[in-house]
Amino acid sequence: MKSVTRQRSFLGLVSLATMLVVYTLVSNATRFVDSATLPNSVATVLRPEVIPPTQAIARAFTELVAGGPKDSASEGHVHTPGHVHSSDHVEALHQQGVTLPASLAISAGRVLFGLAVGAPLGILIGLLMGWSRRADDYLHPIYVLLRSVPPLALITYLMLWLGHGEAHRLIPVVYAVAATVVIPAYHGIRDVTSTYVVAARSLGARGGLLLRKVLLPAASPALFAGLRYALAIAWITTVGAEMLMAENGMGNLLVGGGMWASRLQTRSDPAVIMVGIVAVAAAGWAMDTAARILTVRFTRWVR
Amino acid sequence: MSPIGRARWTRVKRALAALGTIAVLYGIAAEIGRDRLPRRIWLGVHYVEGVELLPPYRSLAEETEFLVQSGILASSIAVSTGRVLIGFLLGSAVGIFLGLATGRAARVEYLAEPWVTFFRFTPALALLPLYVVWFGYGEMSKVLLIATNVAVVTLLGAHQGVRSAPRVYLDAAAALGASRKLVFGKVVLPLAFPEIFASARIALGLAWVTIVVAELIDAKMPSLGYLLALANAYPRVPTMVIGIATIGALVLAFDTLALFLHTRATHWMRRTG
Repeated sequence: MKSVTRQRSFLGLVSLATMLVVYTLVSNATRFVDSATLPNSVATVLRPEVIPPTQAIARAFTELVAGGPKDSASEGHVHTPGHVHSSDHVEALHQQGVTLPASLAISAGRVLFGLAVGAPLGILIGLLMGWSRRADDYLHPIYVLLRSVPPLALITYLMLWLGHGEAHRLIPVVYAVAATVVIPAYHGIRDVTSTYVVAARSLGARGGLLLRKVLLPAASPALFAGLRYALAIAWITTVGAEMLMAENGMGNLLVGGGMWASRLQTRSDPAVIMVGIVAVAAAGWAMDTAARILTVRFTRWVR
Repeated sequence: MSPIGRARWTRVKRALAALGTIAVLYGIAAEIGRDRLPRRIWLGVHYVEGVELLPPYRSLAEETEFLVQSGILASSIAVSTGRVLIGFLLGSAVGIFLGLATGRAARVEYLAEPWVTFFRFTPALALLPLYVVWFGYGEMSKVLLIATNVAVVTLLGAHQGVRSAPRVYLDAAAALGASRKLVFGKVVLPLAFPEIFASARIALGLAWVTIVVAELIDAKMPSLGYLLALANAYPRVPTMVIGIATIGALVLAFDTLALFLHTRATHWMRRTG
């Protein structure tokens, strides 16, 4: 068993390291090879503006973490081939006072808000639909209609009602989370082995007691699985909403700020985008790991 | 009428009642709100005039008539559906293949694991600016963005599906002399099928979510994403409502189709009833 774990982490590390080395070599290829000798199709791709060198990504990372312009460094900068200067993207972000930790904290806050409000709401609806046949009959068609609407499509409409503020960024996240957890909650309650229910009923349990002691514990693995899935959805929706319209957060960092109407017209620096993507993936992974630990703790009885 | 038929009829009646109630309530709210809701709205940088926050059915009907007669709606649906389908087919082919590979061979799984974890938590939308730089403002970025999104979800589904095959089945087949290839084709694949299909269904929904944003790059008519973006820019609520409703209807239609195919394809699983 132990050797399997070791082989697993070993191969994982090998895979990561290989990719890193290969990427560094490819992205710096123009330093070793004269780009004029390469075929045109390869040369157009092997440019630092398309494939940022590893050191440029690292640099963008440190600059974004530190925040604020380093005037002395960027003014006396010499352009060497294959070396990207502190890009417009980074500078634009610095001017807006955007840093990576702050953006990540804001986005994580929105994700957590979406989960905190959306999950109980969705679980309640799911439980209601799974608990009562009548509620299911009436609510399910409405739920199916609502679920079909992509949350991000709602942003502008919400903004008309609520003004340009925080609400129209948060509501799509809440909505996406709620719509996601309804189904696991619904199936969790409905698919509880009927023997349990019949046994509990015949012992005299009903209503609240049945729900608290039999149905909810039996449904909890499904609920937690749904929450973990909702976590990923919440990140997708948050970053998407921020890309479309927000002055802060990771989505804003990725598109480099600017007015909402012209959001995707600006050419961004791929080094910044890569830093942003890795940061979002890391944050999502960390939250998922936390959720997994909680799941194991709360559903220990299942094993 | 049989009891099952009667139960089903009750469900249909209740569904119609619920949807009808919503529709009627909306109509009443729109009529009441027509004179009372503000038509001039401050939108952060400027005022917009003539906004119908709750467009009555009349405006919706007029707008639909215009969009249908001008052919905008039909061509937008065709273009966006095409993108979603191409991206979905591409992404699911790659994703299912990789998922089967990682599910089958432990070594491949260990090699792929860090990358799968990474992509799993990468919101596909975050890749959008990167894809624009790599593949240009065009068809390629949109389709590949959808494909990436779909590939990650179907990869996980296929992987889980292969892994969910009970050990006993594999051992039994092997004991009867089946080769690894035969076991994979005849035992593992059929067992993995429902899970793969379920993940493909989720991925199809995600593909539609992605297109709304993906079509903002190189935004051109006809496309549903841009139709929505234009409606948002003016802002024109009836167009918005119709755009959202059209996307919703397409998501619903595709999901129903997928569910139907799923039921048909996994028919062999039913043992009761």
